[in-house]
Amino acid sequence: MGTPATRLYRSLEGLFAVYKPAGVHWKLVRDTVETNLLKGINCAPPPALRTQVKFLLQSGAGSEAHKEVTLRPVRLPVLADHPLVTGPEFQKLRVGVGHRLDVFSSGVFVLGVGNGNAKFKEMYERYNTRDYTLEGEFGRATDDFSHGGRVIERTTYDHITCDKLERVLAMIQGANQKALLSYSNVDMRSQEAYELAVRGMLFPEGKTPPILTGLRCLDFQPPRFTLEVQCMNETQRYLRRLLHEVGLELRSSAICVGIRRVRDGPFTLQEALTRQRWTLPDVAQAVCQAHSIRRKSGKAFSQGAG
Amino acid sequence: MALVHLRKLGLLHLVNRACASRSLASKAQTKESELGPIFQYVGQHRKPKDKVFVWGFSYTGALGIPSFVIPDSGRKKRRKYQFTPYRLDTAEQISSAACGYGFTLLSSRTRDITKLWGMGLNKDSQLGFQCSRHDREKSYAYVLEPSPVRLPLARPQETRVLQVACGRAHSLILTDSEGVFSLGNNAYGQCGRKIVEDEVYSGSHVIHKIEGFDSRVTQVACGQDHSLFLTETGRVYTCGWGADGQTGLGSYDMASRPAAVAGDLAGVRVRQVTSYGDCSLAVSQDGELFGWGNSEYRQLSAVTEAMQINTPQHLPVEEMGKVQQAACGGTQVAVLNDKGEVFVWGYGILGKGPNLSESKKPEMVPPALFGRSEFNPSVRVTQIRCGLHHFAAVTDKGELFVWGKNVRGCLGIGKADDQFFPWRVTVPGHVVDVACGVDHMVALVKSLI
Repeated sequence: MGTPATRLYRSLEGLFAVYKPAGVHWKLVRDTVETNLLKGINCAPPPALRTQVKFLLQSGAGSEAHKEVTLRPVRLPVLADHPLVTGPEFQKLRVGVGHRLDVFSSGVFVLGVGNGNAKFKEMYERYNTRDYTLEGEFGRATDDFSHGGRVIERTTYDHITCDKLERVLAMIQGANQKALLSYSNVDMRSQEAYELAVRGMLFPEGKTPPILTGLRCLDFQPPRFTLEVQCMNETQRYLRRLLHEVGLELRSSAICVGIRRVRDGPFTLQEALTRQRWTLPDVAQAVCQAHSIRRKSGKAFSQGAG
Repeated sequence: MALVHLRKLGLLHLVNRACASRSLASKAQTKESELGPIFQYVGQHRKPKDKVFVWGFSYTGALGIPSFVIPDSGRKKRRKYQFTPYRLDTAEQISSAACGYGFTLLSSRTRDITKLWGMGLNKDSQLGFQCSRHDREKSYAYVLEPSPVRLPLARPQETRVLQVACGRAHSLILTDSEGVFSLGNNAYGQCGRKIVEDEVYSGSHVIHKIEGFDSRVTQVACGQDHSLFLTETGRVYTCGWGADGQTGLGSYDMASRPAAVAGDLAGVRVRQVTSYGDCSLAVSQDGELFGWGNSEYRQLSAVTEAMQINTPQHLPVEEMGKVQQAACGGTQVAVLNDKGEVFVWGYGILGKGPNLSESKKPEMVPPALFGRSEFNPSVRVTQIRCGLHHFAAVTDKGELFVWGKNVRGCLGIGKADDQFFPWRVTVPGHVVDVACGVDHMVALVKSLI
């Protein structure tokens, strides 16, 4: 139509990233963002109310002899258009989610609004990696691999050194590198497989189990340690289980104390909006920024940042 | 107050309560007593264990696992090929292993009486006299599990075995103070002793101590039917079959006594010698490469177009930099330089895809195939070995990469297909050393913890 609210509604289209805090279900985040955006759109001043001319009966000050009906034209607003009658103009906004984060994890959570939701298919269908920072703690094993679960076993960890941890991580990474090459649908006996392997362009295709493309230890202060993981086709539960298995390899036990997604596709922590900024102007700016980055890089949301 | 709980392996015990509260930094609301005992699986001073893994063709007994050849129970089937690494239980810690053509020798640096074990083909007594249980005069033709090889040492409880090497039908054992011993076939003089006409090698008790070196021998290598010895002074001695000039003594005859090679190696201090087929290579202390022997597959085409050369010649390999280690296979050659880069040439599956099946010039195998990536930018190869038709490389991260012809499952990659570029072998541990044979391989591995 042309009202500022409608123009705002139609222009809000694209992908943006928010920072999902830990302990919150992803659906709550999506609903909150949608509500805030709608609040912002509906805040715009409504157009002036339509008026209509009504002929009201005028009480004549004539004598009883005249007995004439006089009507007085009055311009009145059409109450059917009043916002208190119609309710807010926009009650639903299509906000879609990208790769979900479970309640325990936090980090970059990509949302799409309007026609931007169509870009998810393109983004996640192809080779797309995600970066996580995992915080672990040695000494306990729980049933759901996190600090909130039931403790199953406690072990000592004074024998663990950074060197041993690095060796275990190298072994895990080696196994994953092998899986990376095996799950790509390229015949290993062809020259093409060799060429792609040299360039590092052999990617898994289709449905594969979770594969870690990169793994390294950022910090080690027993009992706490921090790992950086670059992976694909993963779930956060798998990553917690990875920490548990690292503990087992080191002949001890480990739990996950925190998972934080640092990058999802081309969206990093820098672009993620924190809770105070889940408002319409910030989201609109984030959508614009994501657009311009995409145009500058010139390719679709298919390659990771690193 | 410490309570002891014994788990089924008897390895674990409960740690003192005081230790428990100190080591736990948790926010758990439950009481300490409800959380249960703290288990200790590994002590603080635990040393990594040394293990041996084998894979490849098992019917010769070269893998040392008798149940693959003769199953334990009637319901099990024989296992002809072991496609993935299989743990071999050894009595002592093995420090050196060598794979010959259908047999294996393992040695330990211990000072005990038993320092050397052999398994596999024994038709030429390459594993010594392995007397059978029924008849003490007969020797087993196939040894199915690691059996001690008795060396005629003068001081058996002081001498240590440093290195073993195996060829087609003979073996060489290097000790630290008693020189080199040779066993097996001597039809071409490869054992370094006088050739006896019509000698019967099967069931032979002869173990010969090789003399005639100018100084202590520091390394031995076996070609198919010849032997190479490297002494402390850097001189190379050879003996054995020479029809391809692989002895490097200037003629194409066999040599039954070790003699020093000359040619371009005169006056050069050699650091390492290697051979497995009919071509021999030597690396000098300065990082120069010398070769002699068979060149039918273009192994020595850097200096000659002839089929063989019988004196050592210097191979100009400037593009490879300083050579650290060389390895020779049957038809191919691999060289490792001091930067950890691997160069290959020759004939066969060289490691750069199926299109490169022969090369006269050294071709570098890209380091990205050995695990170098942005997460590990500094991975380098530390050891390179050659089997008859395949290669093996060990990186500084303890990973083993193999490529080449998968002869009867010798690559250990889980399948029977040939591998045209370096592929990881999944070994549970840090690979320290690997020995390659014709159709089997042995890896010496250190556990991670």
